Amino acid sequence: MKTNGQTALITGASSGIGYELTKLFAQDGYNLVLVSRNTDRLNEIATEFQRQYGLEKVTVVGADLAQPETPQRVYDEVQGQGITVNVLVNDAGFGEYGLFATETDLQKELAMIQTNVTALVHLTKLFLKDMTTRNEGKVLMLASVVSVLPNPLMAVYGATKAFILSFSEALRNELNNTKITVTALLPGATNTDFFNRAGSVGTRAHEQAMKTDAAGVARDGYEALMSGKDKVVSGMMNKAQVAMSRVMPDPLVTATVRKQMERSSNGNGQHEMGQKKQLATSGSLVGAVVILGIVAWAYYNKARYTDFKLSDIKL
Amino acid sequence: MNGKTALITGASSGFGREFAKLFAQDGYNLVLVARSEEILHQISDELTQAHGIQVTVLAKDLGQAEAADQIYLECQRSGIQVNVLVNDAGLSEHGKFVESDLRKELDTIQVNVTSLVYLTKLFLRDMVARNEGKILQVGSVLSLIPTPLMAVYGGTKAFVLSFSEALQNELNDTNVTLTVLMPGAADTDFFNKAGAEHTKVYQDTELSRPEDVARDGYQALMKGAPRVVSGFKNKLQAASAVVLPGSMMAATMRDMMEPYDPDAEHRKKLRQYTVAGVVAAGLLTWLAWGRNRTSDWN
Repeated sequence: MKTNGQTALITGASSGIGYELTKLFAQDGYNLVLVSRNTDRLNEIATEFQRQYGLEKVTVVGADLAQPETPQRVYDEVQGQGITVNVLVNDAGFGEYGLFATETDLQKELAMIQTNVTALVHLTKLFLKDMTTRNEGKVLMLASVVSVLPNPLMAVYGATKAFILSFSEALRNELNNTKITVTALLPGATNTDFFNRAGSVGTRAHEQAMKTDAAGVARDGYEALMSGKDKVVSGMMNKAQVAMSRVMPDPLVTATVRKQMERSSNGNGQHEMGQKKQLATSGSLVGAVVILGIVAWAYYNKARYTDFKLSDIKL
Repeated sequence: MNGKTALITGASSGFGREFAKLFAQDGYNLVLVARSEEILHQISDELTQAHGIQVTVLAKDLGQAEAADQIYLECQRSGIQVNVLVNDAGLSEHGKFVESDLRKELDTIQVNVTSLVYLTKLFLRDMVARNEGKILQVGSVLSLIPTPLMAVYGGTKAFVLSFSEALQNELNDTNVTLTVLMPGAADTDFFNKAGAEHTKVYQDTELSRPEDVARDGYQALMKGAPRVVSGFKNKLQAASAVVLPGSMMAATMRDMMEPYDPDAEHRKKLRQYTVAGVVAAGLLTWLAWGRNRTSDWN
């Protein structure tokens, strides 16, 4: 395998979807800049991929994106080595699980905003400027299905992902007349270290995640990025959930996500009942509206057809 | 006086200042937060005299990472229990993202997102412990619409709505309510501070009056309503954002965020009127022709 002379910079490259994306770039002969806190793991990956795919250059930047100075440091390092970044993948991100008011750790949530939002904006600014000068480049943003679904028990995480989607769609519009594309990848729950780090192992979402391979999600994102698509929701069920969220009332959407976020075997039966009741009420409400619509439609048609006489078209 | 206290960020101007008046009229004591100590004292003097309430002034810059913590500690030290938290402070930066000022955008994230989460955490914790309290988050119609030429600002407002809706669900079993106010473009200092006074939305659309927006927010907050879009036109826009794709909404918003050019607008309107005229004429002709045909049948 030969290199294609282009370079992709991937944050959060040491594991999960970031790692799988890195592999896809390596397979296509991209040179790599890998960013993550886990320098040892990055060095392993660098050695492995360089040998396996014969890459010209793999650069490792061990840095924590929760530190405000990291984006500039990453940029300076890349510049210093004379590397042109053709593809930027903003993958690094993490969550924190629990009730916001009483359970979650504020310091972790502040670090999350710094990583998922601030560092993403900062890195995008630095590299997008250079892309604009060259009128060439691609950016992949790791959004999520929770970009469009409020995320109880991960309220801050969901909001950071809502930020990313809004920001990406705005940028996409601003870059309309250029050759630069911005693509948002919206995965659902995926089998990565995410749940462990967020403290949400054992939730329904986690059970669901076990069935979703990070490699498949990365492949969806990679293909969308390469074809310059604006966004891609990975997985049929996730596509359906995103589509449903547009027609269902927000509190119902939120309650559904809440259910997925809860531990499947929790002893909180009463709460479960409340949720079920709410779901049932909203469900029957939606059902009633649909039935009413059908009745109205049938009535309207009946009225139309009974008034209709053959003599009307006798011309 | 009703013995309750409302803390308002961004209280020196715009919606924040109007909120301060509304709370004062209803006898709330106030904690006013903004950068300008001088203006806050001026507002404090006015409201103290008019309504006999107690006002605490905290000159803090929410663009500073430690501001939220300091505000909370000051309240604790003064023995003030905050019954209502109004997260109104916010800022923006206008321009293409590749040209806009990064420092100002990082500040925007700090104020609109980080400090909002931080303040909410500290005061909500106490509210949940007391099982009493109200929070008002100032979102925007842009919470629903990607915003070219204010890409970061739109992102922060999307954050605020998603965060708030998740919290509303988490607070379902408590007596604490959280309300999101979603204004459209309003006649405040916002556009000036964002460097966006030359835009079409500021120059060529009807801006909401801050006192009307604040009243909508205040009423929704008092009722414990989950959210309120202020203004009929903005309600329509918010509704269309639910059905139209993000890219289309972004394109519409892009148009509003572009510099205002009266000549171009005039030409555009002329074009629109011409098209409308032709369509109307066509319709009339068709109607007349249709009617003739119908009368032929008789």
